[in-house]
Amino acid sequence: MATQVKVLYFGAAQQVAGKASEDFTAEDTASLREQILERYPAMRRVTFRLALNRNLLKEESLLKENDMIAILPPFEGG
Amino acid sequence: MKNRYLVGGPITPLLISELMTLGNDDNAAGAISIFIGKVRDDEVNGNRIEALDYSAYSEMAEKEADGIVKTVKAAFSDVRKVLLVHSTGMVKAGEVSLFIMVTSGHRDHATRACRHTLEMIKERLPVWKKEIF
Repeated sequence: MATQVKVLYFGAAQQVAGKASEDFTAEDTASLREQILERYPAMRRVTFRLALNRNLLKEESLLKENDMIAILPPFEGG
Repeated sequence: MKNRYLVGGPITPLLISELMTLGNDDNAAGAISIFIGKVRDDEVNGNRIEALDYSAYSEMAEKEADGIVKTVKAAFSDVRKVLLVHSTGMVKAGEVSLFIMVTSGHRDHATRACRHTLEMIKERLPVWKKEIF
């Protein structure tokens, strides 16, 4: 079942989206990824990983209501 | 969540001094290794960088920094303390944006663990920078 989740944008992804966060409806991260790329075609030029509720994802995952998914371009700290 | 590893703006000489005092309260530590990262005034396409504007996924960064400290302590048995602080927001060229301090019984683990902490920060800390010209 599709659930409402919050997407957080960081770094270059935030510049492409033009906002820090927004809500999506998606049942898993794969379909969420597709929706994001459809809404922001320029996001295809941004390499990014996903974090689900502050944990870096190593594979696609199912989503629960109110999950927080962060779009994380390559880290640039240090 | 309280920010323990992120600080707004540059890491000032005063803060560095406070961190060094905080980390240096252990007479069993015979070695202290410190890394200080500064913003460079690189030239990019003919323009000189004046500052870096750092942003972070704060909640995740705090969790990851905590994990880095625990991992380093577990990997280097002689290590006693690991302090790390990273800037967010605007840091001008020449100012400090990263401070790492590792104390240990002897020099070997202090120097190696300090380097290891730095590499893990690069790999795991969700921080981004924007160049300001």
